[in-house]
Amino acid sequence: MMNVFMLYSQTQGVVLDANKAPIDKVNVFLSDQKILLYSKEDGSFSIQKNIPSNSFIHFYKFGYSSKVVQYNVDEELNITLDELHVNLDEVGVAESFSELGNNKLINIDKKSLKNNFTSTASMLESISQLSGIDMISSGLGIEKVVVRGLSGMRVVTYLNGMKIENQQWAGDHGIGFTDLGIHEVELIKGSSALKYGGEAVGGLLYFKDNPFVESNQPSGFVASKFDNSHHLFGNQVGFKWSKNNFYFNAYGQYNIASDYRMPNNQYLFNSRFKNNSVKFSIANRTNKFQNIFRYQYNNEQTGIPAHSHDDPDEIELGDISLNEIDFAEDFKLIRPNQFVDNHLFVYENNYFIKSSKVSFHLGHFINNLKEYEKWTVAAFDMTLSNTQIKSNIRTQFNDFTLNVGAQLGKLTNENNIQSRLIPDAITNDLGVYSILDYEKEKIGLNSGLRLDHKKISSDEKDYDKLFSAISYSSGVYFTESNHILRLTYSGAFRSPHFSELFSDGVHHGTSRYEIGNTNLKLEKGHQFDFKYQWSNNHLGIVVNPFYQLITDFISINPTDSFAQNNYRVYNYDQFDKVEISGFELNLHYHPHQLHNLHFEQSYSFINTRNLDKNTALALTPSNKIKTSLKLHLTENNSLLTLNKISVYHVYSFSQNNIVEYETSSDAYQLINLEFDFKPAKRIDLVLGLNNLLNQEYTPHLSRIKEIGGGVPNPGRSFNINLKYEF
Amino acid sequence: MKTINYFLAASAFLAIATMTSCSDSDTIECHECHIAYDGPNGEIEVPILNSGEEDFCGDDLANAEAPGFSYAIEETIIGMDTIPAGTYTDIHCEEHADH
Repeated sequence: MMNVFMLYSQTQGVVLDANKAPIDKVNVFLSDQKILLYSKEDGSFSIQKNIPSNSFIHFYKFGYSSKVVQYNVDEELNITLDELHVNLDEVGVAESFSELGNNKLINIDKKSLKNNFTSTASMLESISQLSGIDMISSGLGIEKVVVRGLSGMRVVTYLNGMKIENQQWAGDHGIGFTDLGIHEVELIKGSSALKYGGEAVGGLLYFKDNPFVESNQPSGFVASKFDNSHHLFGNQVGFKWSKNNFYFNAYGQYNIASDYRMPNNQYLFNSRFKNNSVKFSIANRTNKFQNIFRYQYNNEQTGIPAHSHDDPDEIELGDISLNEIDFAEDFKLIRPNQFVDNHLFVYENNYFIKSSKVSFHLGHFINNLKEYEKWTVAAFDMTLSNTQIKSNIRTQFNDFTLNVGAQLGKLTNENNIQSRLIPDAITNDLGVYSILDYEKEKIGLNSGLRLDHKKISSDEKDYDKLFSAISYSSGVYFTESNHILRLTYSGAFRSPHFSELFSDGVHHGTSRYEIGNTNLKLEKGHQFDFKYQWSNNHLGIVVNPFYQLITDFISINPTDSFAQNNYRVYNYDQFDKVEISGFELNLHYHPHQLHNLHFEQSYSFINTRNLDKNTALALTPSNKIKTSLKLHLTENNSLLTLNKISVYHVYSFSQNNIVEYETSSDAYQLINLEFDFKPAKRIDLVLGLNNLLNQEYTPHLSRIKEIGGGVPNPGRSFNINLKYEF
Repeated sequence: MKTINYFLAASAFLAIATMTSCSDSDTIECHECHIAYDGPNGEIEVPILNSGEEDFCGDDLANAEAPGFSYAIEETIIGMDTIPAGTYTDIHCEEHADH
């Protein structure tokens, strides 16, 4: 047992296990400062300049229970972590720090993306391994998240506290950034995200950059990957440094990919893409103040595959595919395609005073999207500028935590050419909220209220309308020995987006003529979410049934009419009542005899109902069973450097719960393998094999499912990923 | 060791800066254009050439893609389909899967 002293205004402590033995390499995350330390061999850790009292510190390490403590400058930090064989941190009610709120009281899932670039899955493929999460995609170039059957405007994305407005209304517009420098994503399923806006009727994704590190010596990495489904070549570099309370992180990335290979060995023409990205973060902190500035640039050049002016029913797969790849030609961008430029600026200031933390956040996001069908003339060229000012005061008294805040936003969309699908428009919004949490021993309560005003104006359409609504959320949890119960109820609204109000023109990315509806009203969601969790040393179970009622559900639907060159006309409309219900079940098993084996399985079942028409909702995800098997090998294994073997299996049930203009989808199963090697101390090598069975399948949510009888996803492929850390 | 790390960091950033600064060259692009004829069994592509009997390049390409551009052809047979003589305005120059 070592003694811990507070010397020279340092914050220091020690992490021990239940037997008082030190634990090394524990992540000591100073959550409020966004600084990561690691415990040393003797379990100790320290940071040069003291952090303010009441700052949260999150201790976690694989194989141990995680713990969140509030720092008190007058108390020693002696932390004990229990050994834990069943880790439910991603999906269960675990003790961890969350930007989105108290994760005991709100349904917050988490996914680490720290080493995603060198894994076999793309960032959104990794997130979609969580139960209840799916993906709309057409190859790796265009991917977007679906949460319990909802996507687009209903699933709000935040990156480092800034709302990402990247024309997410359309299925062909991706997420707008990559896994470059991303540490983790937090995810709320359903409408409980009060702190970050009432718009998130379907859910909210909150991506967080890698934390800063406390080290005078620069560190970083260089990583490369090759994925032969797309012939993708990718490179990332990263750099971290800190000195005298000044912290600096910087990253860069370049990806280039050709068309992807389908299971029949043909290539989906124009599924190619390029991407490059740079970002940096600078932080400086004093005793009570912390300033962080972040900048990120992301450029994407994405082909739009399966494009044709013919009736999608009459297109054959051979018409939109290649028999072979010509390396000299098929990495070049062709038409139709998209050019996306995203700039993100974030400034964050935190001030600590006694038992309170005052946060101020200023962000500006610029998104330019150009869609070209012709070589010389853009068919769509629009710039979205989103400015956001946010402040939050977190204060604690006795067993209560109160968060009070306000959020001010201005979103401007401006067409840069005469041809337009959506007119110029301005959206101003103001939201104020208050969330009160109570936690004592075995019970916790939470209640929150948010008031939003959103004004949408368009001179071109002579439209000027104010939408106001109240969102609310409340939750209760109770824990007894190994059992945890939680129930949350939440209500959120979503005002119509200007794309839904004003669209009038050809959307080349989806090959349809879209017509908005200026009579659209607020869409309201009400959700009950129940979670039961039980775990012991070897088995963990999480059961999560949910029910959501959405009134005035905004939907885009095809008509029998055609406009301009055979583009089918789609109208925006509202359904009175829509129900979404289902449950997610997670099982984590860790056999006593095989301590290095971890078995995780999730079941996602969802049912949607449009009560107006007594049908399902369009694009209802198929039910799925996702299974992951991980075998961690000891360092002295006979295969020398093999660290881990992972098997990921997904079984997707057939989907016959469809609307009249959809086709049903067949069941399919996928198996992906991953082998993690550690050939040298600083080198990681990951070999992956995706779609081992070369299964020909078209997910129900594929963007190109209704074309050519269903364009299959990539066939069997391998990938090689290498990372060198310095 | 510290020097090596600074060197590696500098090298890494030079590498990424080089990669991200790569841009497409400004050379004049040429492309094949075609009339998109609405045949009985879907679109029929009727290849067309510019006045110099070549692919469309630069300003020619811009003109061919501009609204109002029209192109006159004689009666043309593509496979089993006959495209009647006339002046057509539905001109496309984007590529399709053909290899």
